[in-house]
Amino acid sequence: MTGHLALLVTATRYALIEHARNRFALALVAVFLPLWTSLTYLAMPETPSPVRLRATGQWLTPAGNELTAISGALNAVTLIAGFMMFAATFERSCFDRRLALAGYPWPHLVLAKVAALALAAAAVSAYATAVTFLTLSPRQPLVLFAALFCAALTYGALGVGFGSVLTREVEGMFAIVMTSIIDLALQNPVMSSEADSPLVRWLPSYGAMQTGTAAGFSTAVPLQDLGVQLTWFAGATLASLLVFRHRVRTRVGPGEPWTAAEFVR
Amino acid sequence: MEVRDVRHSYRRRTVLRGVDLHLRPGVVAGIVGENGAGKTTLMKILAGELRPGHGTVHHRGRFGYCPQRAVLNDALTVRQHLHFFRAAFRLTHVRHAEGIMSALGLASHVDERAGELSGGTRQKLNLTLALMHDPQVLLLDEPYQGFDWDTYRRFWELAARLRDAGRSILVVSHLAYDTERLDELWTLSGGLLRPGAVDAQ
Repeated sequence: MTGHLALLVTATRYALIEHARNRFALALVAVFLPLWTSLTYLAMPETPSPVRLRATGQWLTPAGNELTAISGALNAVTLIAGFMMFAATFERSCFDRRLALAGYPWPHLVLAKVAALALAAAAVSAYATAVTFLTLSPRQPLVLFAALFCAALTYGALGVGFGSVLTREVEGMFAIVMTSIIDLALQNPVMSSEADSPLVRWLPSYGAMQTGTAAGFSTAVPLQDLGVQLTWFAGATLASLLVFRHRVRTRVGPGEPWTAAEFVR
Repeated sequence: MEVRDVRHSYRRRTVLRGVDLHLRPGVVAGIVGENGAGKTTLMKILAGELRPGHGTVHHRGRFGYCPQRAVLNDALTVRQHLHFFRAAFRLTHVRHAEGIMSALGLASHVDERAGELSGGTRQKLNLTLALMHDPQVLLLDEPYQGFDWDTYRRFWELAARLRDAGRSILVVSHLAYDTERLDELWTLSGGLLRPGAVDAQ
């Protein structure tokens, strides 16, 4: 293994170990995800809810509780991924800084976080896709998985950003919870009369909700919406990467002599 | 390590007014100062964590820094910490770290997670991570907090061995204990570094 690859693999391995030892996140996956998805299905009326797929212009009329179950699954995976990445970033910023000061390249540390996020998001999304079968039979399970996965990636990246910027744990938890609730509630026609508003298109999980709806109740594969979601992920990753770099950057490299120019203003 | 005219302020509050320091090889030096004197600010500047408002810091060779608060990852074991930092320092093995762990009495905890360790044992790991690449200049910020008497004694034995091997060690503390173990003592007061201990300490 080359030096760069070895550094990336090492950091990814330890990031995954950290996620695996986050018992609260594991409890959320095991209990909260099926509970929330099922409750949203049971609590909502079966009345058909018209929803438009913007990519095709097609109007669908799924049962309100089935549409809300998909929204609930998205809500659950975004909260879990956002929380996991927030916790990993918030609690470890000093540790990451120490590693960077010791010579660990910060791009490898941040890429390892993204790689660990991708693996964790894939596992959680696969589980969430399986859980939705408790409430409905999605027409395209793989597309539903893709929607959940991209939404989890986006919120994971947002979690890194919140973890790098906010100074108190409660602020980060509140930011993630409120972002996810507002984001998904506004897109659900059962809860919002403005679900078809043009403004909704700018919400962070708009692409995933459109893709998830298409996956649940149609045979359309809205690649354009998946692209929108991946663009959100890329934007959130870039922004988080910049603030993360600001948090862990060091003045000098390991073993380098410090020159006067480094410090003289 | 050569420090010249380092000054630093937090908004209007001036903490360092012009610190000069020359740390020679094979010396254990100490900086004492009251709480809030700016010791941790100075250490952060010397460690490269903080950019000073003015002044220069010259380092030569490998450099180690042990922060006051143990900076560890509670989810990882002691062994995993060693391997993570081995990668950071680009070391081929951790034999030097194992020697330090034996000297500090940490070896028996190697498979325990950092989150399960006592305060003193966390501090031992904190110190091991700062020393494992055999730095030529070592900065220690209140390094023996939480140590029991035996570990405290072992710490000074280790410091003496490092000094005899030509390493420079700078220990910062709020108390002027163990001045007889130091080759040089400085007091940080009023934002300036003066030789010797002030009477009040």
